[in-house]
Amino acid sequence: MGIPIPNSKLGMWLFLGTEIMFFTAFIGSYIVLRLGSNGWPTRYEDTHINVLLGGINTFVLIVSSYCVVVAHEAMAQKNFARARGYLWVTTILAFVFLGIKGVEYKGKIDHDILPGRIPETSSQAMVKVADQLEELVRERFHAYTHAGVITAERPADVVTIAPLLQALSTAVRPSALTDSEFKRYQEASVADYELFQKWMNLKQHIVADVSLYEVESALPADYLAKRDALPEGARLPALKLEEVRRYLNDLKTRDWPLAGLINSRVFDPHPMVYGNIFASCYFIMTGFHAIHVIVGMILFGMVLKQGSSLNERWTDWVENSGLYWHFVDLVWIFLFPLLYII
Amino acid sequence: MSHDDHQTHHVNYLAVFFVLCGCTGLSVLFDVLSMPKGVTIVLVLAVACAKAMSVMMYFMHLKFEGNWKYVLLAPTTILAVGLPIALFPDIGRSYYINAAPQVTAWADEVAEYEREHAAADGGAH
Repeated sequence: MGIPIPNSKLGMWLFLGTEIMFFTAFIGSYIVLRLGSNGWPTRYEDTHINVLLGGINTFVLIVSSYCVVVAHEAMAQKNFARARGYLWVTTILAFVFLGIKGVEYKGKIDHDILPGRIPETSSQAMVKVADQLEELVRERFHAYTHAGVITAERPADVVTIAPLLQALSTAVRPSALTDSEFKRYQEASVADYELFQKWMNLKQHIVADVSLYEVESALPADYLAKRDALPEGARLPALKLEEVRRYLNDLKTRDWPLAGLINSRVFDPHPMVYGNIFASCYFIMTGFHAIHVIVGMILFGMVLKQGSSLNERWTDWVENSGLYWHFVDLVWIFLFPLLYII
Repeated sequence: MSHDDHQTHHVNYLAVFFVLCGCTGLSVLFDVLSMPKGVTIVLVLAVACAKAMSVMMYFMHLKFEGNWKYVLLAPTTILAVGLPIALFPDIGRSYYINAAPQVTAWADEVAEYEREHAAADGGAH
């Protein structure tokens, strides 16, 4: 008396039972979080979720599921060459699935749609612009200190390096550099110093929370003097996200050598409420699913490794791997509408 | 690794495959059509359930298995469905309640964001 199936199949089904709970923990949490978060990001401009790529991947997994079931049928009929052929197709389709997923991930990474990196409010979006500009400034300044064009006690301190950069046009050429090399650095230093000024100006306005265009200077001394001159109860005009957008747009579109670099490295400020939890849910669900795809490929790879010596001893293996693969397909059947369509 | 229990069930797997492809197309069609969001959600999830049933019944052969499948799958299904239901009162209904400090501080920005989205989504599905 007992369950009328082989032990290996029983084991696989028990394992799949735990897998159901594993994935529904994520999917269930996602549904609950989403229901509780009014304003969840859904637009393509926010999420860069590509329905077409998701649809193609769904099709790829369905074809692979069909191939697996036919491979199992062929194993039962002892047609091992046919089974091997279908398992090869399944494995190739798994690679295709992961390739498309890679393209999708790259799109997210390129747009910085990553957990913990998405500004959720206007103030966070403004700070992110300043941070990305700072990253550029540090990178540009590092080129001078690294090449020995500027010698500083603290090469990472951009505030002390900036005046040295400003004075580079009248500085003496270091012996390690040729005339043409030094001239190139001198020419570039004009734009780099201006970039530093622009970044510093933005940062000061963000810290003081005063308008970029209505309050010309937000240097601590200037800001405090202006604030003291205000009548009681009055406030200096606050910084607005639209101003930062305009400021950045000017840096990106004006005719100067750093326009292209800023365009590619500094994102337009784009606050996205619940963006980080969206990114967490997306990556944890699709990431764990992708890991399962890789495990499936290993299972099929072990069968394919047998080559022409594949025989009936592997029939149970193919059946159980197939059950696992269908489960991977099942998970995607729910992830596709939940993440890509709804 | 082998046993002699691999019965052939005479399933037309190709037909199941085409049904699954058709269902996927239907999901995308529901997304493209301009329908109320709630209707789209219900239809798309109904199609997903139909696809899942097809895979489980025919590709995973559950249609031809004995009653052991209920013994094995019922507890996990109950737990899986129970989790969201258990979380819902705590998180689903009040993830960011109005009294939460971040919502109080961001109230204006959230309202502005939602207004922008409402304007941007106007006329779109």
